[in-house]
Amino acid sequence: MPTFKIDGREIPFEKGETVIQAAQRAGIDIPHYCWHPGLSVAANCRMCLVEVAPPPGRPALMLNVLSYDPDTGEYVDQQKPKLQPACQQVVAEGMDIRSESSKHVSRARAAVQEFLLLNHPVDCPICDQAGECRLQDYWLEHQHEAKRMHDEPVHKPKAQIFGPTIVYDAERCIVCTRCVRFCEEVAQDPVLSVRERGNVNEIVVSPGRQLDNPYTLMTEHVCPVGALTASDFRFKARVWFLRSARSVCQGCATGCNAYLDYDPRNQTIYRHRPRENAQVNRYWMCDDGMLDYQRAHENRLSDARLGSARSHRGDSPHPETPESVPVGAALDRAAELLRSADPAKVAVLLSAQHSLEDNFALLDLAQRAFWSSNSSGAGGARRESLGSSRVFATGRPAGEGDQILRHQDKNPNSAGVAALLAPARPQNFAALSAAIDAGAITHVLALGSDIDPGNVAGDSRVASLGRLQALVTLGTWEGPLSRAAHVLLPASSWAESDGQFMNAQGMVQESEQAVQPLGQSRPAWKLAAAIGVRLGLPIPWRTLEELRGAFAGRPLAAEPASKRSLQPGAVS
Amino acid sequence: METQDLDLERSELELDAEPMFINVGPAHPAMHGTVRCQMELSGEVIERVDVQVGYLHRGFEKMCERGTWSQVYPYVDRCNYVSPMLNNVGFSLACEKMLGIEVTPRCAYYRIALGELARMSDHLTCDGAMAMELGAFTPFLWMIKGREMIWDIMEEETGARLTHSFGRVGGMASPPTDGFKETARTAVAEILAIVEESERLLFGNRIFLDRLQGIGKISAEDAISLGWTGPCLRASGVPYDVRKAHPYGRYDEFDFDVPVGSEGDCLDRFVVRIEEIKQSARIIEQALKKLPSSGPINVDDPRVVLPPKEQVYNTIEGTIRHFKVIMEGLKIPAGEVYSYTEGGNGELGFYLVSDGSGTPYRVRIRPPCFLVTSGLERVITGAMVSDVVPCFGSLNMIGGECDR
Repeated sequence: MPTFKIDGREIPFEKGETVIQAAQRAGIDIPHYCWHPGLSVAANCRMCLVEVAPPPGRPALMLNVLSYDPDTGEYVDQQKPKLQPACQQVVAEGMDIRSESSKHVSRARAAVQEFLLLNHPVDCPICDQAGECRLQDYWLEHQHEAKRMHDEPVHKPKAQIFGPTIVYDAERCIVCTRCVRFCEEVAQDPVLSVRERGNVNEIVVSPGRQLDNPYTLMTEHVCPVGALTASDFRFKARVWFLRSARSVCQGCATGCNAYLDYDPRNQTIYRHRPRENAQVNRYWMCDDGMLDYQRAHENRLSDARLGSARSHRGDSPHPETPESVPVGAALDRAAELLRSADPAKVAVLLSAQHSLEDNFALLDLAQRAFWSSNSSGAGGARRESLGSSRVFATGRPAGEGDQILRHQDKNPNSAGVAALLAPARPQNFAALSAAIDAGAITHVLALGSDIDPGNVAGDSRVASLGRLQALVTLGTWEGPLSRAAHVLLPASSWAESDGQFMNAQGMVQESEQAVQPLGQSRPAWKLAAAIGVRLGLPIPWRTLEELRGAFAGRPLAAEPASKRSLQPGAVS
Repeated sequence: METQDLDLERSELELDAEPMFINVGPAHPAMHGTVRCQMELSGEVIERVDVQVGYLHRGFEKMCERGTWSQVYPYVDRCNYVSPMLNNVGFSLACEKMLGIEVTPRCAYYRIALGELARMSDHLTCDGAMAMELGAFTPFLWMIKGREMIWDIMEEETGARLTHSFGRVGGMASPPTDGFKETARTAVAEILAIVEESERLLFGNRIFLDRLQGIGKISAEDAISLGWTGPCLRASGVPYDVRKAHPYGRYDEFDFDVPVGSEGDCLDRFVVRIEEIKQSARIIEQALKKLPSSGPINVDDPRVVLPPKEQVYNTIEGTIRHFKVIMEGLKIPAGEVYSYTEGGNGELGFYLVSDGSGTPYRVRIRPPCFLVTSGLERVITGAMVSDVVPCFGSLNMIGGECDR
């Protein structure tokens, strides 16, 4: 690999790379505002200026400047080298770059920083960006002096509504055009542009339009300052109180890598933001995904419930007023119902909304409880063939997709469920409904909350759940499955437990626990283990490691992609 | 008890040879609620004793690792709460050593003046309480009156009588008040008069002298091996004073003596403190002379020191600077340091480890009292029960420093 030098340090680079790219790969931080690794180069902020030493034997390109001498109070002629933006300068073999070591560069950076703050309002105390703002960071690192201008700063529009999700403050804007380039290049909806020039310029939305494409929140995320703020996050939390868990977005089958930012003090999640992964989502996420964190708190089930199982057999799709009970009592009741069932008429409904761990636990439980007792050999293939006819899977209904990130399948683990059952194919909810109606299934052990009714109206499908003798649901959210349940056990959400998910590309990715489980809820696989214990089964997995070991032999259990390809570090 | 009475009647006044176990503290007021002495007595002689510190556990060091560097000040205040200013200064110097900054002359002399006032208050408290515990209540009231004058000055300067949290990395929370020099001079003169009166009261008192002289003796070797520092070590004849041995701040510019004792008994420890009050008075007088009336109190380093409020509210640069220092904390370069100063009771050391973030990675304190108290066992073994009180008093155990 060819090399070049930054501040005397030898750095390898690939042909065509710019200075800033090669430096970043080597762990050298060159300050920048407008450059973003996922966007085109604009080179307009001038923060990344570096000094390029002339090739050997050639004179340096020098500029004549007037510089103020504070001692004599006069301007004197001086020369300084022509600096180059590191984001635009393509590296050549043997190039000698001076960044931290050049006094011209530090002066330039201080000057750029002073210039960018010239008209900046005194907004830090009320600005959501404070604490993760480049202007703050770079001021201390590269300028740390007061500005010399004492005039009234230029005033521009504040709190402009750009669309349903974004609010713009022109006074805070440094017009780096990252948002403009993002809309044009990634979201493919060039709805933002720059109006005017000089110190009155600002970002505007195209006339007659709103910033309302499916990727609007990314404009806020790429904004290096507090100019664009998300209506969802505005004034909700201070970022220095938040901690981040490395999670996987639950919004669709793409499985974007994300950070789940939560406040450990009140165990509340405040936002989702993309985590860099070149193979999955690069630097981006869609709006649905970024707002998907809300599901960790909304519409949640926190208590176990018992429906009156006997009173409504047949007609009513809903149990009578359910009562909240301790989880232990609900587990007892679930075991009682399942023990009394005819093993041939028990079905398992897996969920593409849940992790591999949860799904495997339920499947393994059902196999041990219902499908292996009367079989002669307990070989894996035999068990699968026994069980597969009574394994069903569902999830959230399909939605809109696009060519950028959004997948039509709105479940994070559809591929994982299919892989768990391979080579058999999971049957959909319509098949389960038909089997219930035909009387072939009387008891269902279900995971998840939502059902995908397929192309038929949902009501008739849901109605068939009411004909069950027992429906034991391990659910996270309120939904058709929880409402129809005779025994409802509260499962924790992805934000409250570690779990693996297989995305549409077939990559297994790990999502970390952020907050403590809500109320009485606990991971679904632990609930499954507890049911197994009450059924008197030898459950060999009591810890997450044991559980993962139990399905490690399956084809899906490749090395988790999230561990392999993800480096810590925020998106630039 | 009954058998003893019987014995008394039958034999010729032979005392029971059975050892008697007696427990003092931690709830006993003389033990400050934080120390327990389990003693084995033979008659009135202490045969064996087990001194247990550790009844105070606040998790001082762990707490320091939760906030920013500046947020450590309230915690160090509560180490030696009789002279908190010395702790403030000690911690500031440790941080500044890591940062490689030196404070302004105004700040340096101000710190010395306030620190020596705090030392006076520490010694006044110790000697006063020692006398009181031996029944001499008047000197206690006089000396506490002197301490009160110091605390009034502290309140005027810092806003708080006891826990000032007045130190800052790179300076002090605020410059000296206009009247500081005058009030300090007046107070010091009055305190010296008080000390003289107390001396006249006590040193002519036979009971007082008999209970201290030759009691609780410890040799220089033993004191050193126990890790003793400060007045207790100097009473044994070792002239080790951090201010002289390893001058910090600007102590090398000052003219003062290090009083030492010869016997290493309780009286020497008492007298060394009395003499140190007089030496502190000398240092304060010199510091007040050198203290400039104007000039900056804080270093001009935006990484460390907060900007003036006027700038914070009116300029974005001031806001950012304030924001970074408060919210992220001042950043101390990664590394470690041991910095030590002369506290009220000896060498007060801070061993700090920084990982470069705004939060201390590790704060380890070497509190002088912890080591001095650990020597109590040596001091009172073989002594009489009645000697426990003057011995314990002369070591000046400060509960906050024995936090483990």
